[in-house]
Amino acid sequence: MLSDLLYRLRALFQRNAVESELDEELRFHFEREVEKHKKAGMSDEEARRHARLLFGGQEQVKEDCREARGTSLVESSLQDIRYAIRQLMDHPTFTVVIILTLALSIGANSAIFSVIDSVLIKSLPYRQPERLVRIFLTTAAFPKFPLNPFDFRDYRARSKSFDSMAAITRADLQLSGGSAAPVKLNGFLITSGYFLVLGLTPELGREFDIRDELPANQLHVILSDRLWRAQFGAAPDILGQKITLNDQPYTVIGVMPPGTEHPGNAYNPLVYGEDVDIWHPFSNQGDPTRRGSHFVEGYGRLKDGVTPEQAQSELNAIQVELGREYPTYTGWHVMVIPLTREIVGSSRRMLWVLLGSVGMVLLIACANAANLLLARAGARQRELAVRLALGAQRSRLIRQLLTESLLIAFLGGALGLAMAIGGVKALVSLMPADFPRAHDIHVSAPVFAFTFLISAATGILFGLVPAIQASRTDPRQGLHEGGRNATGGGRLSRLRNALVISEVSLACVLLIGAGLMLRSLLNLLHLDPGFKQEHVLTANLSLPDVQYKNGDMRSHFFEELTTNLSSMPGVESVGLGSDLPWTGYDDNTSFTIEGKHPAPHEDVHTRYHVASPDYFRALGTPLLSGRFFTNADRKDAPAVVVINHAMAEKYWPHENAVGKRITFEDNPKEKDWLTVVGVVADVKDKPNSASAEAAFWWSSLQVPFSNMSLVVRSGSDPQALTNTVRNEVKRLDPSLAVARVQLMDAIVQGSVSTPRFVFVLVGLFAGLAILLAAIGTYGVIAYSVSQRTAEFGLRMAMGAQRLDVLRLVIVQAAKLVLAGAALGIILALTFARVLKSLIYDVSPADPLTFVAVGFLVIVVPVLACYIPARKATEADPMIALRAE
Amino acid sequence: MTTQRIDLPQGTLDLLILRTLSLGPQHGWAISERVQQVSSDVLRIQQGSLYPALHRLERRGWIKAKWGTSDNNRRAKYYELTRSGQKQLEAETEIWKKLTAAVAQILESM
Repeated sequence: MLSDLLYRLRALFQRNAVESELDEELRFHFEREVEKHKKAGMSDEEARRHARLLFGGQEQVKEDCREARGTSLVESSLQDIRYAIRQLMDHPTFTVVIILTLALSIGANSAIFSVIDSVLIKSLPYRQPERLVRIFLTTAAFPKFPLNPFDFRDYRARSKSFDSMAAITRADLQLSGGSAAPVKLNGFLITSGYFLVLGLTPELGREFDIRDELPANQLHVILSDRLWRAQFGAAPDILGQKITLNDQPYTVIGVMPPGTEHPGNAYNPLVYGEDVDIWHPFSNQGDPTRRGSHFVEGYGRLKDGVTPEQAQSELNAIQVELGREYPTYTGWHVMVIPLTREIVGSSRRMLWVLLGSVGMVLLIACANAANLLLARAGARQRELAVRLALGAQRSRLIRQLLTESLLIAFLGGALGLAMAIGGVKALVSLMPADFPRAHDIHVSAPVFAFTFLISAATGILFGLVPAIQASRTDPRQGLHEGGRNATGGGRLSRLRNALVISEVSLACVLLIGAGLMLRSLLNLLHLDPGFKQEHVLTANLSLPDVQYKNGDMRSHFFEELTTNLSSMPGVESVGLGSDLPWTGYDDNTSFTIEGKHPAPHEDVHTRYHVASPDYFRALGTPLLSGRFFTNADRKDAPAVVVINHAMAEKYWPHENAVGKRITFEDNPKEKDWLTVVGVVADVKDKPNSASAEAAFWWSSLQVPFSNMSLVVRSGSDPQALTNTVRNEVKRLDPSLAVARVQLMDAIVQGSVSTPRFVFVLVGLFAGLAILLAAIGTYGVIAYSVSQRTAEFGLRMAMGAQRLDVLRLVIVQAAKLVLAGAALGIILALTFARVLKSLIYDVSPADPLTFVAVGFLVIVVPVLACYIPARKATEADPMIALRAE
Repeated sequence: MTTQRIDLPQGTLDLLILRTLSLGPQHGWAISERVQQVSSDVLRIQQGSLYPALHRLERRGWIKAKWGTSDNNRRAKYYELTRSGQKQLEAETEIWKKLTAAVAQILESM
């Protein structure tokens, strides 16, 4: 075994010595043979001839010896590679075009694959993430609803499906004290064992245990590594220290390590990745028999071997028990969803569509490369014929040609990988803010492996057919001087035509996809959102309970702020509301309508908000009937609500809703009734929502929330008001943080960032595709023109006009392109259904898109053929005929 | 006198080479001459198969090559049997004998 290896290594590395020894050995044999024949009485010449005959093909013997040495595969491959490099260097234009197009398409594939690998394939950064689940309540109206904290506590106590269970709810804290300006921190209230569920451990201190759920221990906090470094200089003695949050002294009991990723929340406002700054303990306070309020999000770690379905049926059984024990609404079902699906679910289809599109680009690039190789093969026919005539095996020729295409593919792949590394950065910067795991995306080892594999597959895919085709060269035909190769040419050109048709059809599919997405993006941008985003500045303020102990104090602060800001130059109107459109707000309540008795268990639910008198005016939401709130709608005045159009339609169809009354009490007294005073236009949840949720607003002077969004409408540039707002808040309360200052424009742009992201990418791929298809068509027509020069010359000699020849070539191109476009349209109609969830208000068979793309896909490649067509008309009859 | 030449059956070439070399080191030409002589011109080894076979046997470690001087004073590559080549020869001779005996038995008894 060892001697075998040594032998092979010597044969490989001392190749020249081994070869010359072989030469000498064979020469010795030959001469002894000659001597032998001479001794038998032959003349020298005769003896040599005899020996040579006996010897057979010297080269073949040598080749067989090399084979016997067991190194021929490596040796001949090296030889093939050297040969291939020489070939590529001899045809620089061909080489550059083919490598660049492959690099672009392989690079695009690798970049998209990086995203898929990081988002869909790589597991979540938690211990055994496949056992993590989200727990929701669900009804037909509210598919993913948060849990009631008392219900949660009972699930935790009674269920046996989980190793651990935790609940969280968003509760930001304001960090103040010290010299720095107050900052608002992204915070969550968490139950004990939250990090245990995720399988994360603090880098310092401990996480909350069950004692921290007692109200007495509420002032404990766990910091993120980033907050610890940024605000506390990574002080090693941070544990046990008191910090001022919401004007109260909190004790730091732990610090989470970097890479502590938020598992996501469905309840507003959303945070992603490592953007959570601080966690504080959630305690169950209040009356455990009142379970109507739902605001915590459930997480669980399943026991080994328990499926989400089993856990879900167990929790539903518990939910039924709870329904019997407590007088509560019983229409809820518990839903258990694997965390991975919850996090990446919505982007899964989009990513596969992107990979599909970019895969099509690669197929087009393959067809293109195959076409270029076929054209080259035509030119190389003589060379191959000579080699076949000299006894080369077909399989050997195929191997050599494949080496060449693999070399091209790997060069393209290497360049493509470099492009992908840059491309992924660009991709991530283009991504919507809510894209799951975007911060995780980078080019990693699996991406390298993927690139290697697709490069190899690409090389074989585009190289094999031309190689087999070329090896079929008939030596006699090929060697025939000036042979036009009429027989093989027919088959070859049919193959080339088929490749062009498929290129055009794939490009057509991609362009149609891009077209549909563009239409859908334009639809979204031109949708009437129910508000006017221009010239609006927004910010978030949250008044600490310690300082603003009651509603009057909160109302007073907010009223003073609005009054002061309204008088500032440049300010048109100032409003305050519980939330802003399109930011994920979803708080709901049930209620009773005066004079209507819903069937038992029919739950009358609606979304609630709070608005100040000028909130709608500042947002630009039109009033449909009745009036907005006024400063008179305050504490001791009659209770009022403003409702949206959807609510009016839902509960008072064909009636005037203004003047109708609702209540939240089971046995309302006169003061518990709220009167509808106005109906405003609908604002959809997201720009692409099918319809708006039914909703009402309380007057902020009657129901003063502590956490409010400020809406300032400016006469000019709203950005210029940023400092005005900050200064005014600071003047009223220097300890208050002004958070999330942004233009309404930016919120709107952010909400269409996903469709824009998809459109930009598919558009880029489609552009690349049509370019490749044009190059492909050009290549085929140019080749055919060069083959038919004599024919064109003859035609012109016989009196054909330039225009006739031009038409002849263009018609040839147009036939291919038309066939491709027709095929593409059929394919697109078949596949367009896949796009349905990614497009908005456009039919997957949108005629405008199909017609426009059909036009483009026909015109561009045909135009590309104008150059070879012009060349055809320049055929000089004399030269053409002489060449024959 | 015409002798009928027989093509070597598959696998016998290695055996013939090993057997020839068991008499002492030889160069390629001498091996083919020897086989032809001893078989009374019935077997003739083509150069086209001799040299690849020698290289293959060398790679397997059954023979080894060294350069020496031939009887006509020329540099020539001599092959000699190695210890494992000797064992291989014995094993293959055994198999060959069994095979031919068995084939002969069948041919005669039917």
